[in-house]
Amino acid sequence: MIDVQDLTKQYAGRTAVDRLTFQVEPGQIVGFLGPNGAGKSTTMRILSGYMPPTSGRATVNGHDVFHESIAVRKSIGYMPEMAPLYTDMKVKEYLRFRAELKGLSGREMRQRVGEVMDLCTITDVRRRLIGHLSKGFRQRVALADALLHKPPLLILDEPTNGLDPVQIRQVRDLLRSLKPAHTILLSTHILQEVEAVCDRVLMIHHGRILANDTPDRLTRGLRAASVVQVELRAGGDDVLAKIEALPNVRKATQDGEESGWRTITVRVEANQDVREPLMDLALKQGWKIRELHRQLPSLEDVFIELSAAD
Amino acid sequence: MRLLWVLFKKELRAFFVSPVAYVVLALVMVLSGYSFRAALSILERGPSEGSIVQWMFQPNWFWLSYFFIFPLLTMRLFAEEKKMGTFETLFTTPVHTWQVVLSKYLAAVFVYSVLWAPSFINFHLIDWITAGQVEIPPGSLKGSYLILLVMGLFNLSIGCFASALTSNQIIAAVISFTFSLLHFLGGLFIMVLGRKVSETFVDIISYFASMEHIRTFTSGLIDTRPIVYYTSLALLFLALTHQVLEFRRWKP
Repeated sequence: MIDVQDLTKQYAGRTAVDRLTFQVEPGQIVGFLGPNGAGKSTTMRILSGYMPPTSGRATVNGHDVFHESIAVRKSIGYMPEMAPLYTDMKVKEYLRFRAELKGLSGREMRQRVGEVMDLCTITDVRRRLIGHLSKGFRQRVALADALLHKPPLLILDEPTNGLDPVQIRQVRDLLRSLKPAHTILLSTHILQEVEAVCDRVLMIHHGRILANDTPDRLTRGLRAASVVQVELRAGGDDVLAKIEALPNVRKATQDGEESGWRTITVRVEANQDVREPLMDLALKQGWKIRELHRQLPSLEDVFIELSAAD
Repeated sequence: MRLLWVLFKKELRAFFVSPVAYVVLALVMVLSGYSFRAALSILERGPSEGSIVQWMFQPNWFWLSYFFIFPLLTMRLFAEEKKMGTFETLFTTPVHTWQVVLSKYLAAVFVYSVLWAPSFINFHLIDWITAGQVEIPPGSLKGSYLILLVMGLFNLSIGCFASALTSNQIIAAVISFTFSLLHFLGGLFIMVLGRKVSETFVDIISYFASMEHIRTFTSGLIDTRPIVYYTSLALLFLALTHQVLEFRRWKP
C-alpha cells in the first residue's frame, strides 16, 4: 500500500526526514511513533502529496506521490495535525462540501455524510458551527472528513490528540473496525495508543527509523530495563542488601521513608521480573508490603535508549 | 468543471457569511451615492457640458477611495487558508491548483460585480423620477461599467496574487493596495506632468494610465486596447498566483 524508499526532506539547513525506507502492507494499522519534531508530520505530508521530498521516492497504492499527486490524493484520507477546519461552516455543510470536493454527489453524497457522522458520533452537532465546537468534536469532524470517500489508505496525524479518555477509546474502536477495508497509518507520541490499535510500529527519531516491528516484540524489548517499585515496612538496615541478593537484581535503592514505610526502587536485569521472588522474600522476612509494581519504561526512556545505541 | 462550481459556491458563501461583503457593499454604496449626488449638483447649476455619467465617474477622489475595495475583497482568499491550516486539507483533496485559484478569483469578481448594482440602479431611478429629462447617454453608461469591470478584473487578480504570497491578511492587503494604487497614480502623475516630459514618454504612459482609460470609456468610447491590457494583466497575475501556490509542490 505504501512503499517508501530513501525518503529525505530538508528544510533550510535542517533535515526533517533522513533516508526513510519502509513499507506498509494493505489492511494493516501502522503506528508512527516518535517525539515531537521527529519527522512524523513531514513524512505524512509527503505521502499525502502535499509537498515533495527532497530526494527519494514514495508510492501510495502504486502511484508516485509527486508525479501522480491527484491519483494519490484520491486514494487517501488525510487528517492533518490539529485538525484544521473552516470554522465559519456548520458540520454537515462542511462535510458535504468536502464530499463534493472528493467527487461524491447527489444521494450518494448525502448518504455517505450521514454515515460518517454516525461513525464518528457527531450527528448531534451537525447543525452547529465548527468554530463553536470543542476540540474533541473538531477532531472527530476532521476524522469523518478523512473517511468520506472510503479511501483505501487513511493517513491520520495524531488522531486522538485533544480527546478525552472516553473519546479516545471510541476513536480506537472506530479505527479497529475500519481495519479490514482500510490501511491506516497514524502518528502518535503515546505508547499505549500504539499497543492498543497497531499491528506494526514505526519508531522514528531525528528523521530516522529506530525500530520497525510489531508492538508486542517491541515492548518486550523495551521492558528490558524494567524497574520494580516496592513500598514496605521492615526493620533492620540490611533490607537493601537482602533484596540485592535476589537473582537478577542489579541494584536496589531507597528513595524515601515515611512513618516507617520505605520506598525502594529495584533495577532488574533484562527481560526478568522479580516481583514474585521479592514477595516471597518479604513473607519469609516478615516484611509488610503495601505496594509492589513494575514500572514500564516511558517512551522517553525508550528513545534515549534507542537513540543512544544509534 | 463540477469541482470549480463546488469551490466557487463555497467561496461565495464565505463572502456573505463574513461581514466583509456587507462592509464593502456599504463602502461602495456610500462612495457611489456621494459621487452621484455630486454629479446631480453639477446638473442643478444649470446647463453644462458633459453628462451625468462622466461627472459621476471622473472625480479623482472617487478613484482614490475605489482602491480600498480590492484588498478588502481579496486579502482573505489564500492568506486565511494558510493561517488556519485548511490550505493543507484543501490541497490534499483531488483538486487542481488552477481550479482553486480560478474559483476564488471568480467568486471575488462576482461579489465585485454585485457591488456596482446599486449605483447602476441610481441612474435608472433618476431617469424615472425626472421622466427622462436628465440625459443619460447609453454608450457612456455602458462604457463606464465596462471599464469598472475590466479594472476590477485586473485589480482583483493583483489582490489574489498578494494573498497567495503570505499567510497574513494585513500584509496581503497592504501589498495589493500599494500595487493597485501605484499603478493608478503612475498614470495619473504623468498626465498631470504632461507637458514637462517628452511627448513619446507621455504617449507610452497613457497606454496604461487608468485615468485616461476612464475618461475615454465614460465618454462612451469603447477602446479595445485598455480591455486587452487589463484582461491580459489579470491573466498574468492569475498565472503568477498559480505558480506561487504550485511552488510548494515543487520546492525540493
